[in-house]
This record gives sequence, C-alpha cells and structure tokens, in this order.
Amino acid sequence: MIRGAVAIFKRDFKKFLGNPFVLVFTLLMPIMYLVIFGNAMGGTITHIPIGVVQEGPPYTETGLYVNGVEELRYFSQADNPRLFDVTVYTDEEIAKRALGDALISGVVVFPSEISKDNMVRLYVDSSDYMTPTLIESGVRGALARLGAGNTIMVNKIYGDIKYIQFFGVGVIVMAIFMTTMMGGGIALIKDREMGIHEGYLVTPVKRSSIILGMISSGTVRAFLAGLIIFVVGALITGVIIRSMEDFLLVLIVIFIASVGVTSLMVSIASRFNNQQEYASTTAFFNLILFMTSGAFYPTIGMPDWLRWITVINPEWYSVHALRSIILRGQGLSVIAPDLIALLIFSAVAILLGITTYRRTLE
Amino acid sequence: MDPQMNGIPGQEEPEKRRAGAYGQDHGSADQEVCAVSSGENIIQIDHLTKIFRDKNRIVTAVDDVTFTVKRGEIFGLLGPNGAGKSTLIRILTTLLAPTSGTACVDTYDIAKDPEQIRSIIGVCPQNSTLDVELTAYDNLEFYGKLVNVSEDVLDTRIQKLLAMVGLSDRAQMPVGTFSGGMKRKLEIVRAFIHHPLILFLDEPTIGLDPESRREVWQQITRLNDEKTTIILTTHYMDEAEKLCNRIAFVDKGKLVSLDTVDNLKQLIPSGDIIEIGCDVITDALVDAISAIPKVTSAEAKKQKIVIRAKNGSLVMPGIFATFEQLAVPMRSISIRSPSLEDVFIYLTGRKLDDGGNETAQPQAQG
Repeated sequence: MIRGAVAIFKRDFKKFLGNPFVLVFTLLMPIMYLVIFGNAMGGTITHIPIGVVQEGPPYTETGLYVNGVEELRYFSQADNPRLFDVTVYTDEEIAKRALGDALISGVVVFPSEISKDNMVRLYVDSSDYMTPTLIESGVRGALARLGAGNTIMVNKIYGDIKYIQFFGVGVIVMAIFMTTMMGGGIALIKDREMGIHEGYLVTPVKRSSIILGMISSGTVRAFLAGLIIFVVGALITGVIIRSMEDFLLVLIVIFIASVGVTSLMVSIASRFNNQQEYASTTAFFNLILFMTSGAFYPTIGMPDWLRWITVINPEWYSVHALRSIILRGQGLSVIAPDLIALLIFSAVAILLGITTYRRTLE
Repeated sequence: MDPQMNGIPGQEEPEKRRAGAYGQDHGSADQEVCAVSSGENIIQIDHLTKIFRDKNRIVTAVDDVTFTVKRGEIFGLLGPNGAGKSTLIRILTTLLAPTSGTACVDTYDIAKDPEQIRSIIGVCPQNSTLDVELTAYDNLEFYGKLVNVSEDVLDTRIQKLLAMVGLSDRAQMPVGTFSGGMKRKLEIVRAFIHHPLILFLDEPTIGLDPESRREVWQQITRLNDEKTTIILTTHYMDEAEKLCNRIAFVDKGKLVSLDTVDNLKQLIPSGDIIEIGCDVITDALVDAISAIPKVTSAEAKKQKIVIRAKNGSLVMPGIFATFEQLAVPMRSISIRSPSLEDVFIYLTGRKLDDGGNETAQPQAQG
C-alpha cells in the first residue's frame, strides 16, 4: 500500500516540478493578489478633482467664498496628501457642465452676498463609488474649520447609486473576458492538440478563412455573454436604460471589446501548447486587467504605478464607457475617447492574433 | 550506383525493376514537369529530401526519394515506425515543404499550387482529427463544407457515405461514443466526401482489432473501385500484401525498393522456406540436406531445421529421402513462400516492427 502511495506521490511531484512555468505562476498568483488587490482596494483616495463657484449675481466675492476656496485647496485628512484638486469656475452653469462631462467629481456652490438662506450647495457625481462621500465629508470639515455655520445641501446628480449598480457595470466586462479567455482559449488549445486545426490545412479552405471563422465565432460568443450579463445585471441591480440610443451605444461598446478580447485570446492561445500554462497566464492577465479596470473601486485611489496600467488597460476603457452610458446617461461625446482607445486596442489585437495564429499553421 | 541502394548487398535485379517502375526519366528539374505528367502517373516525386533541424540534432526524415504513383492504384508505403512515411505524406499533402527536390500531384507542383492540390486530395491522418463532441453527421457536414462540396449534393452524399460504413443508425450520435473501428471508418469516408482524385491514408488500421481492420480494408478497396488512387502508409505486412498493387519499402528516410508484391518476393534469391520439425538435429543431417541440389541453405533452429530452396515443392522428395536415409523422424513440415517481412529483412537487415532502432546494422540474411 505504501509503495503505491509513494509511487503516485513521486509521479505527481515530478510533474509538478517538471513544469516550472506553472510552478512560478501558481506561486506568483497569491503574491500578485496581495500586491495588486491590496493596492487597488486599500489605497487612500486623494486629489479628487472638484470645482468651486460662487452663485451670482452680484459677483462680488464674499469672505466665505475666498476663505472656503483656500481651505478646500489645502484640506487633508490626517497626514494624507490634499484631498481635493480645486478648479475655480466663474459661472455655475459651466461648472455643472464640467461635472456632467465627468471632468470633475463635484461642484461646491457658495452663496452670494444677498443670499437669503446662506446655503452652500454641493453637487456630486454619484455614479462613482466612495468619492461622493469623501467630497461631502471634506466640504463639511473645511467649513467647520472656518467656523461657518452654513447649511449644506447635497445634490446627487445621478440620484442614489448603490455599490451593486456601480459594480454591475464592471461585471459585464468581466463576462466578456471570462468567456473568451477561459472558455474560448482552452477550447482553441484543445482543438489544436486534437489536430483539428491541422486537419483544416489539408482542405482547400483558406488560412484567412480559418482565422476569420475563429475570431468571429469567439466574438459572437463574447458578445452574447456580455449582452446576457448586461440584461440580467440590469434586472438584478435595478439599473434603468434611459433611451434606445443608450442601449445601442452599450451594444457597440460590448461588441468592440469582444472583437479585441477575442483576437487577443487567439494570439495568446497560439503561443501555448499546454492548457495549464495558458490557464495560468490568463488568470494572471485577468487579475491585473480586472483589478485596474475600476470595476471594483475607483482608480483614483490606486497608487501611481498601478494607475499607469489603466492607461493601456482595455477593460478600463470598457468599464468607463459603459458606466458613462448606463449610470450617467452620457452620450457619444463623452465616451468617444474610450471608443477610440478600444478601437486601437482591437485593431492591434486583431493584427497580433492573425500573425501569431498564422505562425502556428506553418 | 543509385544512392538508395547503399548498404544493401549488390543486387542487379531490384535495380532493374525499380528503373522500370519509374516509367520515364525526369531527372532534370524542368519547370513544366508537372503540367506534362498528367498521363499514367498521378504523383511524381523527384529527389525529395526533408531535413529537420533542432538544437540537438539533424534528422533526415526523407532522404533523396524518387518514385511515381500510377493513376488508380493502391500504393503502399511500407516501413518501420520512424522510417519517414508520414513525413513523405505530409509533404505530398502540402503540410510540409521539402528541404529540396520536387513533387507533382496530378498536374500541380506541391511548391507552387498547394491550394489546387488540397482540393483534389483527401487525407486521413494517423491521429484522428474527428471532433468527438459533434455527431457523425455533423462531422461529415462540417468537413464537406471545408472541401467545397456543393450544398445540394452534400446531404445525399453524407447519407450514402454513412450507409457505406454502416453508421446510418448512429448518424446523430456524438463521435465520442463510437468504437475505434467506427471512428476510423468514418474518418476514411470523411476524407472521401469530395470524391478526391487521391486519398492519403496514414496508418489506417493502427490500433484496431482484427475484425475492424478487415472492415477498413474492405472500405479501402471499395473506394479504390470508384477510380480513386489510394496511397497508404503502414507497417503491417499483411495489410500491404492484401491491399496494395505496388509497395514502396521505406527505411531510414530512403526508398529501399518499389514493386508489386509478387515481384518484391522474387527479390529473395534463396526462394521458398521449408521448416521441418524434428527432435534431434545432427550436423550430418544439415550437411546432407545442404548437399541436395537447388537447396540454397539449411540451418538448425531449436527443434526445427530451416531450409531455403528456389522451388520448394520440387526439392521436397529429395529432403524426404535424406531424412529416411539418416532415419530421423519428422514431427512437422511447413513450406511457405517468403513474406513481405522476409523481403524487408533481406533488403534492410531489420525487422519491420523494430521501430526506428538506429543501432541495427544492415546485414544480409540468406
């Protein structure tokens, strides 16, 4: 009995050690979780961009306004860096438009000289997680330091958005990545192992047809996954799509992301002959990309080195675009940069996918 | 002397015969050689060589091979594992480019028109490429679309092929539930779905039980009746002997010999093999038998005496007389013509199922 157990132990262990790639990745994973998850979730949010403006007319600056701006500019909690990056606006409407375009996360409107109620109005971008609360407590703290007893009226411009709604948008993007990377990639490697791809090569079917067929089937699968999660997620989280135009925009974003991710998967899967190695690598990619996508937690709270990843992270652009449409009802003008970034990513991924897959056919 | 004959004891006979099998001489690498070759020969291979290089070693899988395949025949590539048969097939089916040399399939050059070649060949590779999750019907339909079978005949053709291999009642079952023999038959007819001019079968019966092998053989013969040229690789002698019109012996990447089964057997000069079982074998007995005219050799092996003679049945009376003279009782007698395996051993000094054992030294056996 012992002999058999030892034999099995030895065999398993030999295989474990014989695959250094998987070994490294299995050990690297928890460390990456620690570093990335820890930093992404635990970061202190500072430097929140806000606007300040004094209502008018008349436009003479009040003492409260001047001191308030100074106080907000240098306000910080404990030993942290400054909480706000303050932009001064001269017109309330312009400030609110900037808020609507998500250039700033909040607007503080100070009362004018002749105001009756002397009320400080605060407008916050409630589609974000954490920052609205931080802005509100920051403004309260700053006014308290000035000894100003003004009442504060908080105005959530997108209404009350629960965390589940904030996170729900990220899950759509996650669905696209998961179905493609896990389902599609493993199936592709399995097909290659079984020689099905080599079988294609002795038929008159063109190599470009093989790639086109593979990328399009993967894209449709990813698109359907994204669409289903979008619909189911909307029902679970109670998100309301405001117009047909918004709905179509959501579909466009999901589609472009699906093409890009599928092509990227074809490219990565072409480089691996081993399912285990592929699975380790994509799990790693999923972790980094999803953590820095802003799906869980605002990227503003991440350390700089981690925030740089968001610049090249297609998931970040997807999440940002979808959140703009679904939670804020913003249109093409706001998500255009996201769409351009996604299109560039998809184009690069398609080229990469075609060239690396072609190499496996040689 | 032909380089392919190196290492083989000098024999003029196979040399002549092989020269005859070549048909015409096309040693010069003419540009238009393929266009004019569309007569009797469907495949022409000319000084084909494939060398694999990796970090540690260089392997010459196909070594300066030249031969032709005639239209409509069943052509066998016979050789041990690792002899280069599959590499040759992979070159002819445009999966691999040769290191040097040319090959024509029908009127197309493998280097210039791989796409045309792919549309006139059917390939059944050594390792199954059936999709085990799809049904038999779906597998055939999918492949039919890849090889451009028009939609209006596809369904009838699939039904016909399924009936041909007796799988009609399993058409809608996933291939994963099939036995090895059923999968193999399905894969062979799949390669035939577009009625190719040439069907390549790489080890079609490897790993099958005797019953399934027989069925696969019947299948291959039936497909050949439909005017399809069939090229198969195998390391089973009985398979080659039963199916093939002509056989090419391949060993260590080289073409050793090519001819019909009967002619190949004639290559062994010593003729038939007579085995007589007896309890005691004395040197005197062996010497006496060796002395009989037309007996080429006699040797003692365990409880048997193995005699080789040009025309076995004619020398039998003499052998009987010798046994009677020396008063040695016989226990058993068998007489057989040399098998293909004997021919292969004679030509290469190795058994077919030796595998790619590179230490084996070629030696003449008589």
